[in-house]
Amino acid sequence: MELTLAVRIFEVLLGWSLLLQTLEYLRVPSLDRLTLWPSLRQEIPPRPAWIKASLDTLFQPGAYTALLALRLVLAMALMLGQLNWIGALLLFLMALLLLLRWRGAFNGGSDFMTLVGITGLLLAHLVGAMTDVAWGWRAGFWYISLQTVSSYFVSGWVKLLRPEWRSGQAMTHFLDTGVYGPLPQNSVFRHPQFACVCSWAFTVWEGCFPLALLDARLALLFCAVAALFHFLVFWFFGLNRFFWAWLSTFPAVVYCAGNTW
Amino acid sequence: MDFTTALIVAYFALLALTLRKRWGVIEGPWLFFFRAFFPNWKFYHGINPAPRLYVRGQTEAGTWSDWRLIYPRLPRKGWHLVHNPAVNLALAHQNLVDHLANDINDLPDGADIRERVTYQLVSRLAQQAVAGACWGDHPMIAQAPVRQLSAFQFEVRMVLPEGQRNELMLQSPVIRAWN
Repeated sequence: MELTLAVRIFEVLLGWSLLLQTLEYLRVPSLDRLTLWPSLRQEIPPRPAWIKASLDTLFQPGAYTALLALRLVLAMALMLGQLNWIGALLLFLMALLLLLRWRGAFNGGSDFMTLVGITGLLLAHLVGAMTDVAWGWRAGFWYISLQTVSSYFVSGWVKLLRPEWRSGQAMTHFLDTGVYGPLPQNSVFRHPQFACVCSWAFTVWEGCFPLALLDARLALLFCAVAALFHFLVFWFFGLNRFFWAWLSTFPAVVYCAGNTW
Repeated sequence: MDFTTALIVAYFALLALTLRKRWGVIEGPWLFFFRAFFPNWKFYHGINPAPRLYVRGQTEAGTWSDWRLIYPRLPRKGWHLVHNPAVNLALAHQNLVDHLANDINDLPDGADIRERVTYQLVSRLAQQAVAGACWGDHPMIAQAPVRQLSAFQFEVRMVLPEGQRNELMLQSPVIRAWN
């Protein structure tokens, strides 16, 4: 894949992912009477004092909404290919603020992968400013690729080390506990043999993900299966943010698979 | 094998070697907030006892309800793929229960769990749920809410599937309901 094409697709997908997340963040205050800043602020370390004071100001309802509105604008600028290094830096700083607002994560792994994408974007702009643009994007893409491939590799192998995953029992158990669960009584995932085959299929696929870096066509295949996998994760667990956060990293994987450093 | 491939192979070989090793936990207040910089990428890696939140409520007449489970269960919609704030919020609330269970496990001798923010938030979650609060337009508990709530009590239980084990981890005192 050409670098310029990979960059453009990455920017559109990451911008889209950030846009969707931000719209959800904007909706949450009207749904949530629990995780309010006056309670959460107690956990912020008292020193240095200026941090807590600044956060108190930034997380006032009006300021927080303005912050999210700015994030929305930056996400759209990214999608349009109009985001410079200042915008990338702002997105990175806002990601840090959101981590502080939500006790380290609002939506677990999807926040982690979003941070990977934003960090890669910032890296691309900073290294690009110091060397040249192409080198910057290579650095950003390799950072993102290694994190993405590591996420599948680790996730796959830690499961294969566990007997409940090798037997398929864990798959049925976790699908049953999903937010859209429990599984219907006649679900195919309740058949031990079917669950076992599915478990092995996707854990081995996850564990073998580093092979994607050998060839761009192989990377496309791995990423296509990954997209289906994340859709199923959404379907059973409601994790829509995971779908978009991981999808946004695939252009980096496909680019790196076809190019040496 | 070119240099890039060699580096990649070395990286994943090292990663594989570290998978079985148990690393010490590095803790600190700022590290907790910025743990996203050190993702371990271990999702659903094993069946372990899972914390579940139960609540019961007392009416102004003094009658207690039975114990009710607070657990995110919402109906699926196709458009949730692009906009799913209620489900994500519900999952964030369930994470609070998980974090409270961790805080209980890590509580130093002599410390009071009631001083932890997780306890205070989970306590508020329990009250809201038993009084009929919703995630989006879906009630947090399957049963009817307790009307004219005067007090409530919650429990954190560690649950394994199919009744293998169900241990009481924490029972709160009876708490007066407040607005």
